[in-house]
Amino acid sequence: MTASSTAAEASAAARANPKTSWLSGDPRRLIAGILLVVLALLMLPPLWILFLDSFTEQDAIGEITGFTLGHFAKLLADKRAVESAWNSIVFAIGSTILSLLTGGVLAWLVERTNAPFKVLAYLATIISMGTPFILHVIAWLFLLGKVGPLNDLYRIVTGADDNLFNVHSMTGMILIEGFLWSPLVFLMLGATFRAANADMEEAARMSGATVFDTLRRVSLPLAKPALLALSLFVFIRSIGAFEVPALVGMPARLYVLTTDVYAATIHVPPDLGYAAAFSVVMVAIMAVLLYYYGRLSRNAERFASVTGKGYRPRPFDLGTGRWIAGAIIIFNFMIVLVLPLITLIWMSLLPFPKSFGLSGIPLLTLDNFKAVFTVGGYTELAVNSITVAAGAATVVMLLTALAGWIAARNGPGGRVLDQLATISLVFPSICLGVAVMEVYLRVPLPIYGSLWIIVIAYVIRYMPFGMRYVYSGVLQLHKELEEAAGVAGAGAMTTLRRIVAPLLSPALIAGWLFIFLIANKELAIAVLLASPTSKVIAVAIFDQYVNGQGGELAAFGLCWTVLMTGIAVIFFAQMRRGAADVYGN
Amino acid sequence: MLSVANLTKIYANKFDTQAGGVRDASFELASGTFFTLLGPSGCGKTTTLRCIAGLERPDSGRIAVGDRVLFDHQLGIAVPLNLRGIGMVFQSYAIWPHMTVFENIAFPLRVSKDRKYQRDEITRMVEEALDTVGLGGYGERPATRLSGGQQQRVALARAIVSRPQLLLLDEPLSNLDAALREEMRAELRRLQQQIGVTTIYVTHDQSEALAMSDLIAVMENGRIVQLDDPRTIYFRPASAFVAGFIGAANLITGTSQDAVAADGIGAVRLEDGSAIACLFPKGSAAGASVTVALRPESIEVVPEGQQAASGEHMLRGTVASASFLGGSGRYDVQIGPRVLRVVGSAETMVGAGATVGLTFPPTAAVVVGG
Repeated sequence: MTASSTAAEASAAARANPKTSWLSGDPRRLIAGILLVVLALLMLPPLWILFLDSFTEQDAIGEITGFTLGHFAKLLADKRAVESAWNSIVFAIGSTILSLLTGGVLAWLVERTNAPFKVLAYLATIISMGTPFILHVIAWLFLLGKVGPLNDLYRIVTGADDNLFNVHSMTGMILIEGFLWSPLVFLMLGATFRAANADMEEAARMSGATVFDTLRRVSLPLAKPALLALSLFVFIRSIGAFEVPALVGMPARLYVLTTDVYAATIHVPPDLGYAAAFSVVMVAIMAVLLYYYGRLSRNAERFASVTGKGYRPRPFDLGTGRWIAGAIIIFNFMIVLVLPLITLIWMSLLPFPKSFGLSGIPLLTLDNFKAVFTVGGYTELAVNSITVAAGAATVVMLLTALAGWIAARNGPGGRVLDQLATISLVFPSICLGVAVMEVYLRVPLPIYGSLWIIVIAYVIRYMPFGMRYVYSGVLQLHKELEEAAGVAGAGAMTTLRRIVAPLLSPALIAGWLFIFLIANKELAIAVLLASPTSKVIAVAIFDQYVNGQGGELAAFGLCWTVLMTGIAVIFFAQMRRGAADVYGN
Repeated sequence: MLSVANLTKIYANKFDTQAGGVRDASFELASGTFFTLLGPSGCGKTTTLRCIAGLERPDSGRIAVGDRVLFDHQLGIAVPLNLRGIGMVFQSYAIWPHMTVFENIAFPLRVSKDRKYQRDEITRMVEEALDTVGLGGYGERPATRLSGGQQQRVALARAIVSRPQLLLLDEPLSNLDAALREEMRAELRRLQQQIGVTTIYVTHDQSEALAMSDLIAVMENGRIVQLDDPRTIYFRPASAFVAGFIGAANLITGTSQDAVAADGIGAVRLEDGSAIACLFPKGSAAGASVTVALRPESIEVVPEGQQAASGEHMLRGTVASASFLGGSGRYDVQIGPRVLRVVGSAETMVGAGATVGLTFPPTAAVVVGG
């Protein structure tokens, strides 16, 4: 064999194996390439169309006739736009504080003290995972409304004939939104308190500090980064909230950013330039807030003082104070779960809306429930919702299983994949609805007006969540588990199929269930995309409420909540299992 | 069998300084050698191993097993790791928790690209591997229900089941408790000799390295600083670093006097003016400042006033502290400005404050460089 033929062979071998690291061979590059195209086609057009719409003049059929800054000028000049922006901020700050206070106190009591009735807090959280937001809102509107028990009681006690409390006000919005968020705050802060190192608190106690001193000087400063990150998170979500502003604020002509965008879109003729310009402003605000959120939460991770295996935090002994704590837990349970539930049951059993009272009892009937199961439409609605949510969850998990794996393992294009998949975080739901609607009005495919467009919007919306689940799932797998497969002779695809996929399945299942649950709660995206023939449940409840069909709606909502709560139970069980099997470490 | 030439793989960190990796490592291993890469964490031993396995792509150099080139920077050859046919035991064992013990071990046979294994052939080979590591009958057990030592054995069985020419062991004993580590150390060595597979072992534990290896490479800051058999490494360390790393050596500085005799014995004048006889490496110059490594257990503590045996040197000092360790007695002896660590008999010990003489043969005092 001559020297030149050896060199030729070698360079042929080099062409065949252009490896930079052991897995970055052809198979993974191919997957990354395909994912890049799919994600770019899915995630980027909505952003692009918003910019396009906000900077251009368009004629009636959507042809661009010229570029303009007019939409933005109009925003600035419009007194209402400035007013809604201000309302949004007040609303978001108010509900953030309320939910952090209620959820935070609850989380600390449940995770770090010996308060009784802890199970109630979990129960409320699980059921609230399964309840569409809008049902909660409707229940609260009734409770605090003109014919509701609060104002009723006030009139009976004082003999006045006005109302103590007008729910259709900023205070009403903040109250309802705050209570909506408190279970989530409870969940997230609970995890923080669970992970905190009890030794540090015990050291403070041994140094002579009281429970209160310890809390103020040790526990709270330790939890501060996590608290800050969480407040910003809730603030961001409240800025993008739609259900409460739409149902509580709009009847009183109290607009926030999201409802303003909604109003401009459903207005006839729709003012899409205005909506798009408004959306662009919101997306920009979101991007800035998310940037700071990212920094804050990384900071929070650095502060986490989790210790090794077999670690069990020791709860504080509150002494007799534990009964006060128990009362707080029960009070919260009443507010978050029992009152709204009783309200819904009451509403569902009455043929027409009526305040709580003995006079209602003879009227009680199961007709609304009968209607749910016999009158057409409801079954179809349920099937639609489940199909859309399951479809979106499946697509998201399939895409993110691959993208998240490549990103978490620093594979080819990993960073870009991660950014593409999480870019939709900058959209408030309603703006994403507007954008997706605009994109698929222009695409010459029969997607607009079908269920498909809702599936696509959900996929875009929930891609970041799927990415989170997969990413942290992969990080929990010891890298050597994959490397061992490579050394044993398996190629990238075999490793993916036989090692990564099975080990990742708990994270994939948990992610799927989570997306399925929140997709079924979602109103803001679907409200603009659903057509009369392609409705999902949250939209139907919204429409019916606006049309005043309270009883049937409550009955249907209750049945739906029971079903979703069942799935939420499976979800939490799965999370528990996932937490128990952290493999390979 | 294995030849590694000028292997270099450097990790740059964000401060643009060297953050680890390996520089210009070269060695040749004969078939059946038990070779150990020894060094502190961050010295590049694991990087070297991962480059050979194919888990990292070197920046330059060449790796070949027999006639087969696995990596050659100049020729642009880089065989993917799954085609290298090397067995490896990982530090975390990397036992797949979703498979049984049998399936874990059978995996390399099932995914083999070289040849298709028949079902009964796989069964036979896996059972053979299980027997070899002393886990016969454990095949159907779920991998999650194994003790640390058993996981270790499964990992080993998986690494040898397809009879590789080369076996890589990445600190395999570091996750075991002390007693089990002793046992597995002997077991590993016995197994390696039984199978006769060329083995590269990575560890930071010098006693493991000395006990098991045919050949040891001591690494420091990415470079191989000494490549020798265990006895030479221990008795003739090539540098102060090796001497210090391999055992707690006393390092004394001084100046070499006149010429070194043919047997390598020469005199070193210490700072206080006294001279001791030391073993010099070849080609040492007179008058250079040198460092002498003196192992604590080669020094004998004798009562003050006793004469040194012929050819041995005697230093006098005061016991600064004495500790009873059970198997031995440990002293810190103050000699002029410096303290020497001495390990002696525990039967009769001298108390702190006593004045003693220290004697040692010249071959125990090794000049390890400037």
